[in-house]
Amino acid sequence: MPDRPILITGAGIVSSIGNDKQGVLSSLLEERSGIAPIEYLKTGHKEFPVGEVKLSDKEMAAMLGIPDGTPTTRTSLMGMLALKEALDQASLDSSDLPEVGFISGTTVGGMDMSEQFYLDFLSNDTKNEYIKTHDCGACTEMIADHFGTFGFITTISTACSSAANAVILGANAIKNGLAEIVVVGGSECITKFHLNGFNSLMILDKENCRPFCDTRAGLNLGEGAAYIVLESLESAQRRGVQSMAELKGYGNACDAFHQTASSPDGEGAYMAMKEAIEMAGISPAEIGYINAHGTGTPNNDHSESQAMKRLFAGKLPPVSSTKSFTGHTTSASGSIELAICLLALQNGFLPGNPNWKKEADGVIVPITGTLHNVKVKNILCNSFGFGGNDSSLLISKWERV
Amino acid sequence: MRKPVYIKTAEQISIQRPLCEEWIEAPVIYDVKYTRSLDPDFKQFLSPIEARRMGKILKRALATSLRAIEKSGIQQPQAIITGTGLGCIENTELFLDALCREGEEFLKPTHFMQSTHNTISSLLAIHTKTRSYNVTYAHKGISFDSALYDAWMQFMLGKIGSALVGGHDEMTPSYFTLLQKAGYLGTRNMVVAGEAAVSVMLTTEKENAMCEIAAIRMLYRPTAERIGKTIERMLAESNIQREDIAAIVTGVNGNKENDIMYSRIIETARIEAPCMRYKHIFGESYTASGLGLYAAAHCIARQQLPQHMIYEGECRTGVINAILLINHSDGKTVTFTLIKNTKH
Repeated sequence: MPDRPILITGAGIVSSIGNDKQGVLSSLLEERSGIAPIEYLKTGHKEFPVGEVKLSDKEMAAMLGIPDGTPTTRTSLMGMLALKEALDQASLDSSDLPEVGFISGTTVGGMDMSEQFYLDFLSNDTKNEYIKTHDCGACTEMIADHFGTFGFITTISTACSSAANAVILGANAIKNGLAEIVVVGGSECITKFHLNGFNSLMILDKENCRPFCDTRAGLNLGEGAAYIVLESLESAQRRGVQSMAELKGYGNACDAFHQTASSPDGEGAYMAMKEAIEMAGISPAEIGYINAHGTGTPNNDHSESQAMKRLFAGKLPPVSSTKSFTGHTTSASGSIELAICLLALQNGFLPGNPNWKKEADGVIVPITGTLHNVKVKNILCNSFGFGGNDSSLLISKWERV
Repeated sequence: MRKPVYIKTAEQISIQRPLCEEWIEAPVIYDVKYTRSLDPDFKQFLSPIEARRMGKILKRALATSLRAIEKSGIQQPQAIITGTGLGCIENTELFLDALCREGEEFLKPTHFMQSTHNTISSLLAIHTKTRSYNVTYAHKGISFDSALYDAWMQFMLGKIGSALVGGHDEMTPSYFTLLQKAGYLGTRNMVVAGEAAVSVMLTTEKENAMCEIAAIRMLYRPTAERIGKTIERMLAESNIQREDIAAIVTGVNGNKENDIMYSRIIETARIEAPCMRYKHIFGESYTASGLGLYAAAHCIARQQLPQHMIYEGECRTGVINAILLINHSDGKTVTFTLIKNTKH
């Protein structure tokens, strides 16, 4: 089968730095972080700053025209908002959807409701409609069903690389000729479940996170959703839609080191980035910017640094982690950061890595402030998950042949 | 031209006797709403220290995977892809229960660390030192099918030459109660709710393979027209005639709404072949469809269709050339998997 170029013809994003692409773009250009004291999540852990989407569930439901009393979850509501923006940009409506695939990544799924009603499920039976909204697949179906009938759907759950892996599956489906358009991405809200889980692992910072900084002490949780429309060149030409970029390469590897820690040499990260670059048929020197996974934990940033240093051998392109803007949006981070990379590519800027102060031993030095008027051709976007699920995506400026 | 993909080995731990095919001749019969898997002695796969640290779902996944890898003669798979509807639900519940009852003060990381869905694939990678492609699917009753579809697509693209594909779900008594309340499990006339651990090794090597995976498709809320077209495409691309299909394997489970959907799909597909079930012996679980493929692969490899599996129609004599597997989840997601005899 001849290789089929895959174009990106739409993107939608909801995050702590904006509820759509325009909002996110302004925040990045003006260097406004979305990390703030906890406002929406009902938790006792007020000491941890987070990157919450600045909308209540009720407000999101109203924006989407969902009647009061309909069982929904925060993850599915954010997902619907992001999906709407992506479909609109790609000029896809409900009549197109039977030919369109939808692949979504999530790990907490409907846990926000389960953790409120779990004891009720066990003994009271007044909230049983939320038993059905618990699992990851239910979340994807709720998001999809809001817009019509997609041709096929499925859900990926590889923790913090879920959305990136959704991009890879969607691209493989197009390359195989099994679909012409696949909408991919992920959605994840902050829950008490994983806030407490990450706290028990002692990887949350009580101050704003500082990826790659010597003083980094952990991550700030974030939340949000982003979906990207992948489309074959033939389909995009036939429909006459504009392309934001080309998805030129992707790689997936497993660190195979530890359930919750990265290897000291970042082998999985190295393999994922290398595979993406090789698939794109370019050299590492042609990468103009890396949006790092850069969580702000001592372990991740050191491990990722080793991988980048090895792969780029002294010629490291500008690197930043936008998690100091958005917080770590876990399962959604792959597509949220890919959407940020799309904005950077289109608008000629590189997002910064605020709060970085001091170089750390063995760790790369990121760009700190947003760099304006920078035109790059190729961008690498990393997402690494618990369990060593490491993925890297490579987007390039689409130049019409 | 693309290389065909074969199932080399298929292993299970379920409510039938583990790591063997005794279910073909003498299935274990249950008269309860819910039961847990019949576990093998894990000592042959794990040290006692390792076993103590792992939940049931992990031990089973490791045992079926290691056995499938070992029997396949392949040293290391080039991809590890897992489907799991609920992931490590036992650990998830333990952490959730502690959070809800005792609050946020004294939670320990132990259960959280093994609560994510991808814990299974990750453990398999760590244990087998496999650093290649590793992904986990969690989409209700098509979790396993999604994993298989992913692997199949990568074979088609020539990205991999072997893959370990698994379907793993455990079911705790408390979560069974919740799913019973939701009407998913344990309803009137429904088969027993069980647990599933299935591992299959896929390869491009034909020698000693059980069967070929000829085609796979996943659909969402399909119309009759779409089902018809999909079946036509699958048959055409795999060079299989309607009459080559010796049996249709479905996920009927005694629940009326679930079973009617299968009748409708079969009618639309216009294939006349005996219908076979597997959930009457393996029970219902989110990754039961993995056991369906496992059973069908063994049927085709042995050229035998066990009488107890046939619920409609009669077996024709002669060679079993192909089997069509149909699976659906809540009548929304529908999958088709077409497997064929390696000699066909």
